[in-house]
Amino acid sequence: MESSDEAAVEKCRIHLRPGTLRDAPPATLHLLPCEVLVSRPAPVGRFFTPAIRQGPDGLEVSFRGRKLRGEEVVVPPGLVGYVMEEKGEGLVGKGFSEGSSNDNEQGQQELVEPPEALERDFDRFIGATASFSGFTLWGLETIPGPDAKVRGALTWPSLAAAIHAQVPED
Amino acid sequence: MKSPFSATWMELKGIMLSETSQVSEMTFFIPEYFKDAAKKMKSGLMFVKLVNPCSGEGTIYLFNMCLQQLFEIKVFKEKHHSWFINQSVQSGGLLHFATPIDPLFLLLHYLRKADKEGKFQPLDQVVVDDMFPNCILLLKLPELEKLLQHVTEEKEIDKKKYYKYSKEKTIKWLEKKVNQIVAALKTNHVNVSARVQATAFFSGDQASSDKEEDYICYAHGLVSDYIPRELSDDLCKYLKLPEPSASLPNPPSKKNNKMTAAQKALAKVDKSGMKSIDSFFAAKNKKKN
Repeated sequence: MESSDEAAVEKCRIHLRPGTLRDAPPATLHLLPCEVLVSRPAPVGRFFTPAIRQGPDGLEVSFRGRKLRGEEVVVPPGLVGYVMEEKGEGLVGKGFSEGSSNDNEQGQQELVEPPEALERDFDRFIGATASFSGFTLWGLETIPGPDAKVRGALTWPSLAAAIHAQVPED
Repeated sequence: MKSPFSATWMELKGIMLSETSQVSEMTFFIPEYFKDAAKKMKSGLMFVKLVNPCSGEGTIYLFNMCLQQLFEIKVFKEKHHSWFINQSVQSGGLLHFATPIDPLFLLLHYLRKADKEGKFQPLDQVVVDDMFPNCILLLKLPELEKLLQHVTEEKEIDKKKYYKYSKEKTIKWLEKKVNQIVAALKTNHVNVSARVQATAFFSGDQASSDKEEDYICYAHGLVSDYIPRELSDDLCKYLKLPEPSASLPNPPSKKNNKMTAAQKALAKVDKSGMKSIDSFFAAKNKKKN
């Protein structure tokens, strides 16, 4: 009885392989100001990277004919960026399809968000495939300003530390 | 083959839907010290579903067995973003943050629940959950007894500890949390003067003349994301935060009739200065063009 309980608990866990955190090679990341609807391999090094120029106000590139401006953003101190992946059947589901395409019912079902993605397919393993200490943040026409939500999110860890630090004893 | 980067939107969609190979990569920010800890361990890092102390629903947390620490996962998600990760494109542009969470918030959920029985109980009888059996991990955390002193009365009988939720102690503990957060808001120069409203009207940061009360309101809003509404309301009263100024329009809600007295009281509170954690991660005030 107890062993089956134990197994049930075990099923609700997704294990992160610690070894992969050590060996993850550095990756180059760009955060684009547009949504590409499907996740898949793309010849970034052939079309995007060679087109990046250093302009007077930061980096410049164009994507689908639109001008992007960007700058390097560093990962908040004390943190490391990792790209996590599950080999084979993907943790985030088999595909991201556009939710509005009614002709593709399968696609509707597969449109998932990460919290749910972490919930499905229990007792599984994921690992880091790459690490990063910064990424290039791109905006349409202009560099995302200080009010950009991404920048706000990056201040979260320091605030979270204050919320969750132990309070002093009386 | 046409370059996917010069293709129009529809063409691109066509190319991509016909493509069968998929990659799914998640970008995570996790503490640097995980890497060192990883040298010593073969396993012990795992994502588990535990109760969300604010909503009571299931939420994913990251548990580090080696460091005996619990982390919450927050997701940055804003419309119209995607990642280029090396030679691949990842839809959605999500960013996951793993940051430490004070396990006392989760323990509080169980202590309050057990308090309905109104007696002293050993911890392993308090932290029980059919929905989220992984809650037993909470009992493995170090220095639990020390933590529990902040929110419980305790008795020791035959060397076994028995605990009972104390609202008075909990409120005092939460007040300390608020003070701690206020200090951090100041060091991090977070603009607390109702930025939520300001961004709807101004593009730039307003020169702020933040008052102490604004900081406390904001900190109260942050800590309220980890406690049930009832407790948040009690804390609001204890901190003597401003009474409703009726500036918050109350849209008629279907659930209105079912609200508890505490929820009704809270609904009246002017939350304009409060800041929910979610605002760090999702675009709330979309500019309506």
